[in-house]
Amino acid sequence: MMANLFSIFDPASTLSLPLNWFASTLGLFLLPWVYWVQSNRYHKMFSMISNQLHLEFKTLVGPASSQGHTLIFISLFMFILFNNLLGLAPYVFTASSHLAMTLSLAMPLWFSFMIYGWFNHTRHMLAHLVPLGTPGILMPFMVLIETISNLIRPGTLAVRLAANMIAGHLLLVLLGNQGPSLSSSLLSFLLGTQILLLTLEGAVAVIQSYVFAVLATLYSSEVV
Amino acid sequence: MLSRIALKPVRSAIQPIRLTQTSATTNAASAAVAESPERDLVNFPRPVRQELPGKVRLGFIPEEWFQFFYAKTGVTGPYTFGLGLTTYLCSKEIYIMEHEFYTGLSIAIMGIYAVKKLGPSVATYLDKEVAKSDAEMNAGRDLAIEQCKNRVVAEKVEQDRALAQKMLFEAKRENVALQLEAAYREQLIKVFAETKKRLDYQVEVQNVQRNLEQRHIVDWVLRSVRAAVTPEQEKATLSQCIANIKSLAQQNTARI
Repeated sequence: MMANLFSIFDPASTLSLPLNWFASTLGLFLLPWVYWVQSNRYHKMFSMISNQLHLEFKTLVGPASSQGHTLIFISLFMFILFNNLLGLAPYVFTASSHLAMTLSLAMPLWFSFMIYGWFNHTRHMLAHLVPLGTPGILMPFMVLIETISNLIRPGTLAVRLAANMIAGHLLLVLLGNQGPSLSSSLLSFLLGTQILLLTLEGAVAVIQSYVFAVLATLYSSEVV
Repeated sequence: MLSRIALKPVRSAIQPIRLTQTSATTNAASAAVAESPERDLVNFPRPVRQELPGKVRLGFIPEEWFQFFYAKTGVTGPYTFGLGLTTYLCSKEIYIMEHEFYTGLSIAIMGIYAVKKLGPSVATYLDKEVAKSDAEMNAGRDLAIEQCKNRVVAEKVEQDRALAQKMLFEAKRENVALQLEAAYREQLIKVFAETKKRLDYQVEVQNVQRNLEQRHIVDWVLRSVRAAVTPEQEKATLSQCIANIKSLAQQNTARI
């Protein structure tokens, strides 16, 4: 029963335990089963995407990249991607639309970067607060602005992902709720619009996961 | 997917699919040697790699489920079961077609369209990529085989060259024989010339001797004739000559 529009996001389960969060583990079923040296089509596609991401992230980090620097970000990308895409399917709980999950991803990353950076490379971090080419008068304001932008980074990471997912799902639900009350002739228009919306949502799912991973990479590269 | 594994029959020992085969891998003796005697292949056969994805009906329902139904309900069993179940759920409003249903319907339409239209091209592209990585993995082995083949060809060329060497030897032998023949002929001519020179000398000696003898005899004859002529004979001859001349003179004057 839908009390309000946002009740679709309510964590729900038959027992009193919040078992809906196990939906995040559904992505594990989509990982390729690798037993043979020779890859099958699905594993090939998966490894091509991983390799491409690895090359991109390596380029982003630049000369400061070390062996295995990109591994955590590729895993992050895959995790958020599976969560987003599977959430689009009917009756699957979208874990990444809850701030509880996105903040749990963004906060530890950002905190660890900050603690490492400020304790080990203090001067480097202070230098980052004033961008290159700033006129002398503006420097105090730039420091303030950069500090604030730094502090809201975990918030922006988390909220961006959650808000995108919520917005998409909301639109789908609003459109879908009109379904039972429509005649069969208008149903084709509804399905057409839903298909377009789903295409958009699929693209947004992929893009948002990519954006999250790229921003995390950039924040890590700033600190090293 | 998991039901497929649970219902999978135990496979008998089938030859596993290899990337490439050489005579070493098909040789029965070498295959027997490669297996460890402690390995139990009857109860734990080697896993075989599937070439193609598992068989499905209607795009996502595994074939094994239909086989499961076949013994009891025949061919139409699973379809009747599915249709009956959905009708029951929908009519009793156990399953309500609300917003999630229409989302699911749209996803189903998108999925079917994508698989039917883009499926084959994506599959061929991925197969090509898999073949590329296979070739990379086999590259060292294939390179070694190629090098061995090239060495075999080079060896054949070297053998032909060795045969050509034999021909060279024959030619050289002929050359030497020709030179020997030429030298022999030269010496023969020299011998001939020398012999002729000696014989000519002998001939010349004989000629000279004969000339000397002839001159000597002529001189001796003249000398003896001159010695034999006595003064009376000389006088007689002289007077005879004068008489002949007188008679001739007379004859001449008579003619004139």
